[in-house]
Amino acid sequence: MSGIVLRNIRKTYPGGPTVLHDVSMEFHPGEFIVIVGPSGCGKSTLLRLIAGLERADAGEIEIAGKRANDLAPQDRDIAMIFQNYALYPHMSVRENIAFGLELRGMPRAERNRRAEEVAHMLQLDAYLERKPAALSGGQRQRVAMGRAMARNTSTFLMDEPLSNLDNALRVAMRTEIKELHRQLGATIVYVTHDQTEALSLADRVAVMKDGHLQQFDRPEAIYDRPQNRFVASFLGVPPINFIAADRLPGWQGMQGLTAGLRPDILTVHTERPARPALEARIVLSEMTGSDLLLHCDSPAGRLTVTTPRRERMLAADPLWISYDLDRTLFFDNDSGERVDLERNVHSIFNTEE
Amino acid sequence: MKPENPILTTLSVAAGLLFLSPVLYSVWMSFQTADAFYTGKLVFTLDNYGRAVGEFNFARYLVNSLIVSGLVTVLGITVATLAAFAFARFTFRGGDLMFGATVATLMIPSHISLIPNYLTLAKAGLLDTYAGLILPAISNGFAAFFLRQYIRGIPKALDEAAYMDGATPLTVLWRIIVPLSRPAIASMALYIFITEWNNYIWPLVAVGKQDLYTLQIGLARLYKINPGEGLVDWPLVMAASTITILPVLIGFLLVERHLVRGITMGAVK
Ligand SMILES: Nc1ncnc2c1ncn2[C@@H]1O[C@H](COP(=O)(O)OP(=O)(O)OP(=O)(O)O)[C@@H](O)[C@H]1O
Ligand SMILES: [Mg+2]
Repeated sequence: MSGIVLRNIRKTYPGGPTVLHDVSMEFHPGEFIVIVGPSGCGKSTLLRLIAGLERADAGEIEIAGKRANDLAPQDRDIAMIFQNYALYPHMSVRENIAFGLELRGMPRAERNRRAEEVAHMLQLDAYLERKPAALSGGQRQRVAMGRAMARNTSTFLMDEPLSNLDNALRVAMRTEIKELHRQLGATIVYVTHDQTEALSLADRVAVMKDGHLQQFDRPEAIYDRPQNRFVASFLGVPPINFIAADRLPGWQGMQGLTAGLRPDILTVHTERPARPALEARIVLSEMTGSDLLLHCDSPAGRLTVTTPRRERMLAADPLWISYDLDRTLFFDNDSGERVDLERNVHSIFNTEE
Repeated sequence: MKPENPILTTLSVAAGLLFLSPVLYSVWMSFQTADAFYTGKLVFTLDNYGRAVGEFNFARYLVNSLIVSGLVTVLGITVATLAAFAFARFTFRGGDLMFGATVATLMIPSHISLIPNYLTLAKAGLLDTYAGLILPAISNGFAAFFLRQYIRGIPKALDEAAYMDGATPLTVLWRIIVPLSRPAIASMALYIFITEWNNYIWPLVAVGKQDLYTLQIGLARLYKINPGEGLVDWPLVMAASTITILPVLIGFLLVERHLVRGITMGAVK
């Protein structure tokens, strides 16, 4: 079990722009870390630096308390699942899974047994003797998982390991990974685009943008108290609504703020409620199962609301949208940083209206 | 395979026969007696082969050629593969320059290096030895260049996955790169073997002892030691020629199935 410390990591690819700017993070032993961020923000690069496949231009990487900047990948005791699988095309599934064990001198019978065990866990038993070319995308992805899992390493780096699986398998594998983490107690650094994955798997989530670390915290904190507008908008489905704060009915507070309203803190009324509410018209409604997703136009701008499915809701015109003041987020218009108004939030509203 | 097209089939057979005709003719001739051949009669015999192998020492030449070409191929392909791996996968000081120099050797006609090589080997006392025949042929710029291009086509992620699995660079070369480059390596090995097999100038320069003659030298000498001015014993020469081409032909047939192109992909999505 080993922790990882990144200190002021900077990385520039030769002839390219700087991909990581002064990134500092500390992963505790046994933690499940999820890194999220838009495409091209440097997530894979960060993993490759930890793996030892790239060198940092500045800063320090520490693994298990020792400086690891100059350590070769094979000396770091880290297993990695590549974004593009990187399975050995000339080896069978069994050989792919057992290759790392073989290189570490495990006897054939033992590594075969281990490969079969791992394959069974990943429902790959039927494919042990196949070459990667004869597997589907999802099967390949599972072989890549298996190759990393076969070795009992203290640290796993996973670059979007579930991105190619169908929904059912993805959910199953998510549980599997969580279980694996619980069993092995290994440190896992997991990159994903999928925010459900991020919030459900992580002990802590790192949100990145353009090579800058935006926020690194527990999922609840990321969701409830995002550092800035970017973090607020990146996590949460359906996405958070932003409207100018002074368009909120009854607003008497300071200028230059944007209010962030997550769809689940909004309530739809067919009659004008006693609380402050925005008048709105439905532009589009989407059925999401038990809920309705309403896209509405209000004087303050477009709002997305989730609401239990009730037919009369759709007929209402106009309807009224009220909001949970305690859970409304405020951001500075210029810096995009979140502004804490919690203490006096009620005093700035004229709740009488 | 597509259904057979009779016109295409006829044309290919015709072309094949056309290309093969000199070879077929010489093989045909090698089985006839000289007397009959010159008088336009047909008398079949195996005598020519017996004489070539026994009287004219072709058994020895064949062994020499096999030793020299075999070792040049094994050593040459090893050196070329190591160089290609280094050029394809590592950046190191002077690497580009060295690669440039390797490519530049392709533009230098071999005759230009003849004298320097000769003098070097003379100084090292390696003339008239197997080493003298073999060493200058080991470095093959074309093979290194060709294999480097091929290796660059193999996704680097495979190397990286192997490093993560605990491999050293040599393990990566041996377990990942070489198996995936097999068609290219087989092609280059065949190319090196044939080139060395047909090499005439260098053995001629480097070797004086008859014991070290290769087939090509032996074949050329056959004209001179032939009795009867102006009247060459063609059936004998053709028997010797047949002995000379046969191993290459067998070698090709052995390697041919490895030359099939295209790596089995599926490594990368
Ligand atoms: N070998 C390289 N040479 C030059 N630039 C590179 C190289 N690899 C990545 N980049 C650039 O670095 C940036 C970050 O790439 P990276 O692969 O880390 O992004 P990512 O966050 O993993 O994106 P995605 O979610 O699409 O996988 C991108 O702009 C990319 O173009
Ligand atoms: Mg990536």
